Amino acid sequence: MANQQSAPVFLNLFRIRFPVGAVTSIAHRISGVLMFSSLPLVIFLLDISLQGPAGFDRALDYLQTGWLRAGSVIIAWSVFHHLFSGIRNLLIDIDCGVSLQQARRSAWLANIAGLSMTLAWLWWIL
Amino acid sequence: MVDSVSRPTHGLRDWLLQRFTAVYLGCFLLYLMVHFYNQPQHDYQQWHDWIRHPAMTIASAAFILALLVHGWVGMRDVVLDYANTLRARLLLLSLIALVFIGCGLWALQILLLSAR
Repeated sequence: MANQQSAPVFLNLFRIRFPVGAVTSIAHRISGVLMFSSLPLVIFLLDISLQGPAGFDRALDYLQTGWLRAGSVIIAWSVFHHLFSGIRNLLIDIDCGVSLQQARRSAWLANIAGLSMTLAWLWWIL
Repeated sequence: MVDSVSRPTHGLRDWLLQRFTAVYLGCFLLYLMVHFYNQPQHDYQQWHDWIRHPAMTIASAAFILALLVHGWVGMRDVVLDYANTLRARLLLLSLIALVFIGCGLWALQILLLSAR
């Protein structure tokens, strides 16, 4: 653990204030972990959906169940939020929109765009 | 990769890998969205023909590879941020690596079998 001295350690989450950029950032992380967790299930569905017409229908049946429909909304939010806040991160990496005011505005934009697309997804599957 | 638990020397390389894969993942995702928006209803034959098209098989294989690299860097960052003992880090990182390798091989097998 030679690098412990150089790594800042302040991870008491309850003592950290959360401006909008922090919400975008932690949501980026949470959505990433959620997508990672769903990976085996997604690959399982891909697998059976390509095992002939019967498997394809079975995959569709699974997707119609309440649990997977609810899960798909969470994963849809994860994908959309991760995508939008990821684009924001890439733009900030190339010095686009770095000022505090612009960064706050783009953080709001990413949060709202992610939620809006999730609503669109919900409308799409209902 | 176990080295990165104790030796933070791959920072720039991983950072760049994460950015490059992000661009590809974003583009592929956009293509998927446009595709399914235009053609929301697939039957098995359409679905299978779409995936086994050579361009799609290659693009999907690249997507899976990019996804695994991108996800590995991200999950590793998360573990290193919240797990502070060597034992916890090794345990979690091994578990995640196992899931990633398993998912990667599984997905590649699916693509190869459907491309026959």
